[in-house]
Amino acid sequence: MKRIDAVIKPSKLDQVKAAITALGLTGLTVFEVKGFGRQKGHTEMYRGTEYTVDFLPKILISIVVADDLVEPMIKAISDNARTGKIGDGKIFVTALDDVIRIRTGERGRDAI
Amino acid sequence: MVHVSVTRLRQSLLKVVVAILFAQWLAGPVIIACADEPQPDPAGISTGDKTSAYDAGGASFMISEPTDKSAPDYAKNKKAFDDFQAQVAKEPLAVKLADDVGHLRVATNFSWTLLTGYLVLFMQAGFALLTCGLVRKKNAGHLMMLNFAAYVFAFLAYYVCGYAFQFGAVAINAAPTNLGGIPTLDKFLIGSGSWGFLGGKGFFLSGPGYDAGSLCLTLFEVVFMETAGYIIVGAICERITFWAFLLCEIFVGAILYPIFGCWVWGGGWLSQLGTTMGMGHGYVDFAGSSVVHAVGGFCAMALAVILGPRIGKYGPDGKPRAFPAHNLVFVVTGTFILLFGWMGFNPGSTLGATDLRISVIAINTNLAAVAGAASAMFLWYYLFGKPDITMACNGMLAGLVAVTAPCAFVSPNSAVVIGLLAGILVDVGVLFNERVLKVDDPCGAISVHGYCGWLGAVCVGIFADGTYGAGWNGVGAATYLGKTGLGVTGLMYGDTHQFVVQIIGATLCVVWAFGLTYVVFSAVNAVRSMRVSKEVELEGLDVPEFGLPAYPEDELVDAGSVAA
Repeated sequence: MKRIDAVIKPSKLDQVKAAITALGLTGLTVFEVKGFGRQKGHTEMYRGTEYTVDFLPKILISIVVADDLVEPMIKAISDNARTGKIGDGKIFVTALDDVIRIRTGERGRDAI
Repeated sequence: MVHVSVTRLRQSLLKVVVAILFAQWLAGPVIIACADEPQPDPAGISTGDKTSAYDAGGASFMISEPTDKSAPDYAKNKKAFDDFQAQVAKEPLAVKLADDVGHLRVATNFSWTLLTGYLVLFMQAGFALLTCGLVRKKNAGHLMMLNFAAYVFAFLAYYVCGYAFQFGAVAINAAPTNLGGIPTLDKFLIGSGSWGFLGGKGFFLSGPGYDAGSLCLTLFEVVFMETAGYIIVGAICERITFWAFLLCEIFVGAILYPIFGCWVWGGGWLSQLGTTMGMGHGYVDFAGSSVVHAVGGFCAMALAVILGPRIGKYGPDGKPRAFPAHNLVFVVTGTFILLFGWMGFNPGSTLGATDLRISVIAINTNLAAVAGAASAMFLWYYLFGKPDITMACNGMLAGLVAVTAPCAFVSPNSAVVIGLLAGILVDVGVLFNERVLKVDDPCGAISVHGYCGWLGAVCVGIFADGTYGAGWNGVGAATYLGKTGLGVTGLMYGDTHQFVVQIIGATLCVVWAFGLTYVVFSAVNAVRSMRVSKEVELEGLDVPEFGLPAYPEDELVDAGSVAA
């Protein structure tokens, strides 16, 4: 079992969601987040004065999958979130100890 | 101790207010009792009779008896009067009909003046949306309270003395014949004849002010004063305390605005410079580029200088920083509401629908608005690579402000040129304030209303083409510059005097509004700081000043779900 957190462009959410649910995903959590990467935001002009947008709006999707689905998921997310330009985001994969379904009390892989 | 003295102060203030109201109540009947004074007409029954019946060219149905026997055309006028009297004796029914025509004419003009006044009133909603949208989210509630309170307190100040100061002598030199003339308002408190400085009748809108014609004018004029009162919000927001703001509004409604307004619209000395000094048609400002907008804009500038820039507006290196607008939807909606309201502001300033120039005025107003928006937007596009919607909105308002004084006297082509000039000036003005003067003006009020207001008043002296305004301010009713029926004329059409008097009047307006505001509120600020504390400013003024944020859903604690 692995947990996959992917920071993506908000405009790519629908495409990514369609691709990963097609692989057999059973649940998905989405966060509206803000942050910056190596680019450190970008500058804009307002009434003739430059200002920096430090924190850009992004979407963080969080999913939990069985080990055999990790690589296909990573590929699906990467392929569908990529524009090739700065700001496409990142994917984080972490090991997961346990999962519990609150209604039934099922645990582990059955609860995913 | 402090508490006791505050209570005492409150009690004595209350006593003063009660005494003023009582004196007013006593004085009311006394004024009515003076038989030789013109009688007010609160019921609106006798306002508008045969003396109010005019033809399209402004010639009266009535022919009055010539009094000056030494005048060269006395014999001719006397004969015309005698012929008229003979005719009247033969056709009494025609005279009775003329009474009805005159009354209907005034009634038509009442409808127009009141309805356009309601349109101007709606501009307050536009100002509220525009200024609120242009500031940061944390101060949105504060902006709404300022806009709301401005209407309330400036209105009361205008009711107490503002209207009387401005129009208390309007019958002497500037009687609004479209509304029946308002003969009861006929006394200068300071000055007399053509050199009036302060009106002196109609305090508390009672006695001579309790008159149908006068109150029609009051409705229209009070919403104009409110416009000046709202303008200052744009430059002083996000840092002024509420008590200081209320003082500013009372100051604008009672003193600053009415006095300059008296000089130009109340028959005061500036408007009479044509008859007294031979300066064109006197100082002419049709709907208030200077009287309303430059007064508001430069009052705002003085207050912004006294308050200083918002924390963080200028970095340690002195370079300006941007505080982006929090709601562009409000900004654009507000701007269009203002454009709509301006359809009352300018065409309504004829004070009558029987003046068919209103269609020209309406088109000129719109043309200047779109021309101003276009030039402001394109200059910005050229300078910075992207058009800025907030500056485009400022440009539209700049065009409107600049055409407000000349709208009745110029052709549509001139209105476009005036709008284009204003759009450029507003861009340059915003950059000049921000980068050179370093006066912090969150909404661009100083540039839009101050600089473009001055420009608008001067434009009368440049672009007025003489097609309208014959006899304006008592100048050239028969002929002007040797031409019959020539109205207000600018530099391009051959009247240099008009240009000079426009420059003098507009510049005097700047000095008056900035100077008096600066002196008065520097003193106030020296007694007690008009600015909120640093902590309050950083947190946002909504909660510390009024206890409620504009957008409570942004708060993390949701009282509703806790109760559930």
